[in-house]
Amino acid sequence: MLFPLESAIRADAKTVAESGDYDIVIVGSGISGAIIAKQAAEAGKRVLILEAGTGSNVTLAGYDNLLTTFYSAASKDNQSPFPLNANAAIPRSPQLRKLQAGETDSSNYIVQSGPYVSDTVYTRIFGGTTMHWEAKTPRLLRSDFKTRTLFGHGLDWPLSFEEVEEDYRLAEREIGVSANVEDQQYLGQTFPDDYVFPMRGLPLSYLDQQVNKGIEGTSVELYDKSYPLKVRPYPQGRNGIPNPAYDGGKGYRPIGAVDTHQVEEGGRCQGNTNCVPLCPVQARYHSGKTLAKAFAANGKGGERLVELLPQAVASKVNIDPDSGKVRSLEVKIYKDPASPAHETITVKGKVFVLAAGAIETARLMLASGLRSTSGLVGRNLMDHAYLLNWALMPEICGTMRGTSSTGGIVDLRDGPFREKQAAFAIDIHNDGWGWATGAPTSDLLELVDDRNLYGADLRRGMVDQVSRQLLLAFMIEVMPVESNRITVDPQYTDALGNMRPILSFTVPEYTMKGAAYGRQFARTVFARLGAQDHTHYDPSDYGYVAYEGQGYAIRGGNHLAGTHIMGTTKTNSVVDKNQRSWDHENLYLMGGGSMPTIGTANVTLTLAAMCFRSGRDILKSLH
Amino acid sequence: MDSYSIKTLDELKEFLYRAMQLEHATIPPYLTALYSIKPGVNQDATQVLRVIVVEEMLHLTIAANILNAIGGKPDLVRPDFVASYPAALPDGETDFKVGIQAFGREALATFLKIERPAQRPEHLVGKGLIHRKTPAGITALASHPRHEDLHFYSIGEFYSAIAEGIKYLEAEAHEAGTTIFTGDRSRQITSEYYYSGGGELFAVTDLKSAQEALELIIEQGEGDGGGIYDDDDHELAHYYRFEELVKGRYYQKGDQPGHPTGPHLQVDWEGAYPIKENLKVGDILEGSELREAAIAFNTRYGEFLQLVTRAYNGQPNLLLEAVPMMFEFRNMILELIRNPLPKHPGKNGSPTYEIPGGIKQPVVTRQAEVNA
Repeated sequence: MLFPLESAIRADAKTVAESGDYDIVIVGSGISGAIIAKQAAEAGKRVLILEAGTGSNVTLAGYDNLLTTFYSAASKDNQSPFPLNANAAIPRSPQLRKLQAGETDSSNYIVQSGPYVSDTVYTRIFGGTTMHWEAKTPRLLRSDFKTRTLFGHGLDWPLSFEEVEEDYRLAEREIGVSANVEDQQYLGQTFPDDYVFPMRGLPLSYLDQQVNKGIEGTSVELYDKSYPLKVRPYPQGRNGIPNPAYDGGKGYRPIGAVDTHQVEEGGRCQGNTNCVPLCPVQARYHSGKTLAKAFAANGKGGERLVELLPQAVASKVNIDPDSGKVRSLEVKIYKDPASPAHETITVKGKVFVLAAGAIETARLMLASGLRSTSGLVGRNLMDHAYLLNWALMPEICGTMRGTSSTGGIVDLRDGPFREKQAAFAIDIHNDGWGWATGAPTSDLLELVDDRNLYGADLRRGMVDQVSRQLLLAFMIEVMPVESNRITVDPQYTDALGNMRPILSFTVPEYTMKGAAYGRQFARTVFARLGAQDHTHYDPSDYGYVAYEGQGYAIRGGNHLAGTHIMGTTKTNSVVDKNQRSWDHENLYLMGGGSMPTIGTANVTLTLAAMCFRSGRDILKSLH
Repeated sequence: MDSYSIKTLDELKEFLYRAMQLEHATIPPYLTALYSIKPGVNQDATQVLRVIVVEEMLHLTIAANILNAIGGKPDLVRPDFVASYPAALPDGETDFKVGIQAFGREALATFLKIERPAQRPEHLVGKGLIHRKTPAGITALASHPRHEDLHFYSIGEFYSAIAEGIKYLEAEAHEAGTTIFTGDRSRQITSEYYYSGGGELFAVTDLKSAQEALELIIEQGEGDGGGIYDDDDHELAHYYRFEELVKGRYYQKGDQPGHPTGPHLQVDWEGAYPIKENLKVGDILEGSELREAAIAFNTRYGEFLQLVTRAYNGQPNLLLEAVPMMFEFRNMILELIRNPLPKHPGKNGSPTYEIPGGIKQPVVTRQAEVNA
């Protein structure tokens, strides 16, 4: 149906302010908030979701408008579909510049205080960062949960893989992961005997297959251990072929999307290649799909249980000084993204969930003056360090076919070498050199401006130039370091007067050692493929990091974690293993921010799994 | 039972073939109207048309499932399968033609007729089929296979005849200790191969599933017993979705037919390319690029029907290969629609859907070349 669903569930500020009977108030409509809202609504609880963005993309027309914005944008960065909104500003990578020693750059939403400049981004609109994620959904490895014990680096989780395993399955169901179990059984990953993923694995791209042809059967040596090389498919949160064997033969039914018409529940993946930033057919999961189910839940009297209040920026968490519990949230409601005019309301509820992403959740806590017993709010900021290596394959490999990334070289995600250096997973990018050089736009400019090509020659030239491009993106492990952090300062505020996040980050030595090895590894792979290395790191690049006499351009992976880290006691962590704040009994801090380590897995699947656990804890606390 | 009802399995198979032909017949007009819309305008109309095209493809597949269930062989390459446009559709007492034209008021008026919930007026209740001679060269869709000049009053009545036929034949088979549902289960297309297409696709294996499949087709088109929704799943029937465009307003829960009270929507009636109605290849200047493009499209469309035929005949996997072909159609149709028709000032080209017979082996690798 094309009737805008939002009119049925969109709350208004006045009613929300006067209503005192929300069971759960959630900040953020990303995947964490969505899972909690759905679980709670299914249990008959009243839920309010506060969303900083306009919420216009709740409807299909709004979603399509984002696509139109993307198609017409000159810069195709991963935030280009999302309109400017100073009241809920988002970081954008093209605006970054290199910092001089000791310099702070406050010209963008995230204040960069160095020394490393991170281009990590997240999205503050309905659907959160799932509106632009790439949707790779690997699980963490068993060893990732205990890196301190096994390798002497990072922190151990207060949970083992075994304790999270069932919730991984729930998360895979929610996202509708496409993967084949046999492809994922490497490095000790095991699955229950009868387990199948909701959908069958998506095929490897032709480029993946060509790379595999060149490396399969070869291996590399690392600290006296041999690691075989091959290209393995990634599990992905995008619609493939539903597996009829799922759920004991009941099969999997892909359902739910931003709008409510069945045909818009998310098409099947068409390999559009612009998965990031936005899938044109909603084949890629976004939290609107989970929220559609949450919004549809009715209470005993037929009333809707989940309300969405958009244009609502949570600005302060108010604590009852006696109990330490959260009393209310101060929320700034703006009328128009183009104007800072707003009213401030107070929102009450029984349980409060901050699910605004690792940077915004920490920022809100710090801006509210909540520093926790451990003093760790905002600290241990993690994001995968990406090192890009690019080359030209000896023959046409059909680059630009398939989704952004279908496969990778992932056998160095684990091994005893992690005592010495960071592990990595390598994504093969089907979209060519885009991330590294701005291709294919840069190729087009070169062919037209420098080589004066047009017509058929230009078309042929583009094919020749682009379809051999190979980009290996090394996604390198970053361990928690307390000095890598988010802080706030009253001198840096946004349009609504809320304090902006200040990011201080150094790429740890452990990671740089992995990066240096990664560069060498890429050279080896290129040599085996007969590919011509075009990798070049410019010292003026904002992400340039010198290590042992060599320079590397490190990119952020947008896999944010660590800022309200999970642990065993209130002195070593901010939240317990249910993501409940140690210091504030009715406050849950959700998302990547709780993760003590991130290994070499994209964080979304794991943080989604953790939300199922927290949701159960919240429901228990409400009884 | 009157003399026009279905009494043999072969007859039922022929009826189901005609059901597939009917379901397919709406696709070229809807698809052409969809792609005739200029970029950046008529977002609502685009969505409505897209959704309905996808659901018509679902109906086509459901009809194939029913035919397969009773041991039939779906054949989309039979020479008469694709209608010659304009084609005649059942619409009560008077004749009416569905043609290939651009999106606009006229096209919508036709689409409303196609999907109209038809109830017989008093004086025709219980009167049987409508007698009307169809001129030569016009495809009369949903006519009676044994009596070509007899037409069903509505698409709903055509499907009712099929439903009755299935019930009758199955009861007869049952008495003889057998069943008409003898088709190979592996020929059924299930949601594994076709989902998010406007409804659940399920295997047809017995009387119950066959009846459910027929109900889905009828309800999505005409609505459930005159209501605006096709079931309790808040799905608007096709007729009312088209009506929303005409009335410039969305329906919402509780609305009466003909009186949508939801939010307003905008339709730009000029926002389509001026394509020449019911164009034929023969009308296009010989030797022109447009003529070549029209022929190329028809050839490719023929290959597509061949591929789908194979998919419906035990190779459901091939439906996956049909998807990139449909992207080709979009590109090929846009090429025709956005270019001027030589010797016809002010008119643009259009796909002609004159599908050549005898296409055997579709080329499924062409998209690969396009992508490379």
